[in-house]
Amino acid sequence: MLENLTIEQTSKLLNSKKASALEITSHYLKKVSDANKLNCFITVSEDHAIKAAIQTDNRISKNKKIGLLDGVPLAYKDLFCTNEILTTASSKILSNFIPTYESTVTSNCQKEGAIVLGKLNCDEFAMGSTNKTSFYGPVINPWKSNESDEDLVPGGSSGGSAASVAADLCIASLGTDTGGSIRQPASFTGLVGLKPSYGRVSRWGVVAFASSLDQAGPICKTVEDASILLEAISGHDKKDSTSSIEPNEHFYKNLNSSVKDLKIGIPKEYLSDDLPEEIQGYWNEGKKILSENGAEIVEISLPSTKTALPAYYIIAPAEASSNLSRYDGVRYGLRVKGENLTEMYELTRSEGFGDEVKRRIMMGTYVLSSGYYDAYYIKAQKVRSIIKSDFDLAFKSVDAIFTPTTPNTAFPISKEELDPVQNYLNDIFTVPANLAGLPAISIPFGLSKSGLPIGMQLITNTFKEQTLLNIAKNLQDSINFNIYPNQWWK
Amino acid sequence: MIEFNKKITLKLAKLSRLSLSNSQLENLEKDLTSILSFIDQLKEINTDSIDPTSNSLDQNLILRDDLAEDVLSNEKLLQNVPESELGFFVVPKVIE
Repeated sequence: MLENLTIEQTSKLLNSKKASALEITSHYLKKVSDANKLNCFITVSEDHAIKAAIQTDNRISKNKKIGLLDGVPLAYKDLFCTNEILTTASSKILSNFIPTYESTVTSNCQKEGAIVLGKLNCDEFAMGSTNKTSFYGPVINPWKSNESDEDLVPGGSSGGSAASVAADLCIASLGTDTGGSIRQPASFTGLVGLKPSYGRVSRWGVVAFASSLDQAGPICKTVEDASILLEAISGHDKKDSTSSIEPNEHFYKNLNSSVKDLKIGIPKEYLSDDLPEEIQGYWNEGKKILSENGAEIVEISLPSTKTALPAYYIIAPAEASSNLSRYDGVRYGLRVKGENLTEMYELTRSEGFGDEVKRRIMMGTYVLSSGYYDAYYIKAQKVRSIIKSDFDLAFKSVDAIFTPTTPNTAFPISKEELDPVQNYLNDIFTVPANLAGLPAISIPFGLSKSGLPIGMQLITNTFKEQTLLNIAKNLQDSINFNIYPNQWWK
Repeated sequence: MIEFNKKITLKLAKLSRLSLSNSQLENLEKDLTSILSFIDQLKEINTDSIDPTSNSLDQNLILRDDLAEDVLSNEKLLQNVPESELGFFVVPKVIE
């Protein structure tokens, strides 16, 4: 009864008193402890979880009406500050950091009675697309190829957020997405992953990577669950000056899977000879389904697509190098003693940051340094304007854009990239939405010949999350994916 | 195209407050040169009449009233500090 539960199903079980919150929570805590091999969790917050479950059960026993998230066991990427629960950003430099406050997003979930099972492994400071840059070691994808027994990456940076939901160690999770970090791992693990419009969700209390691109969002088993969580975490927050005043919406209640008379754009620049045939195959299948269900498929052009990745790899490191200057060993986190202040800074940061983080700090420092600022940083911001106006133009004639989420499926952890740029190419289809601030979702479509999940992406105009979720639901209901990996890790 | 040499890499490490070993510096030279040649593609794009976008949100930053509020107590602020004394952060001596 308690396998692969969705938020909707859990809520029904609780409301009908077929299971208590404590039973469900204990069941999931057991699953977490049986899945240590996957390395999804950095911290398991068992005491907090049990306490919250008892509180939900008390509400139910008093016949109070409970909300959809009340009593639902979730887990959060270890980038969200959680009051009195270790928050590391998967970095040695924060390996002893226990926040004394709660991020707005997780606090919104807690207010609705959600239960936090723990904090999830990710790439260090969310920098990566494999989860291999974590100080706590890689997360293992619960999916395996039918051709080999090798451990695969879950994608990243929200690798733990995706793997934990795919392995059913929690009902849903929260991740963050700066260049694809929710959508790419969702695609690699057969799940729904949603990045909201920039500003829809408060960034307050979320460890910053690239502030003009970062957004938190849900990784779930269904589109319905994604709409429930999106609604819970959205809304203006006076603590984040970039959070939008756009009113929150009833995404779940208003879900409507009709795509009749919607125009769906297919950007011709996303099709290349390098795109594996089976990904192309599912892409075509999606177009066919949408068209059969009453949508009109239109070819569109996003001419600056190719410039998105290089622009991203200037802007994101630039913002990161500035954001990460706060880790100096003075107020919190790791401190390595030095003879003087500068030496203390240098030794602390060298010991505390991993290689990928150092690379991005160095690159960011370079593009922001005197003499290169205009040639790189300002140039990239101008290119960002062109990318944004490409989308603005496209959305004058279409309601949504439909593309693959990734150019590949999950690959072996042992695969070594000799050149960092090779890893950056994982983000090729996801980065444009971040640069333009658009909402985007990845939904599972099917399995590759070797048995690995393939996801497709939808993008809509800013704050058109309802349209995004509606089309996603239409595809979900037509495809009926609903496949989970064999539980080999038990 | 600029190649990262040891001198530039060392200067960047200094600006980034990172102290790196020789082998780390060599690896970074190679990696940064490769990343730079990738991002250099942008030079081909004409951006003469384009304004930069620093933030995609089409909204003026929202200001709140500047009121004193109880946010974190001194005790909570110092809960994660590596070294403190008399309610202050302690760092190595700066003035001799």
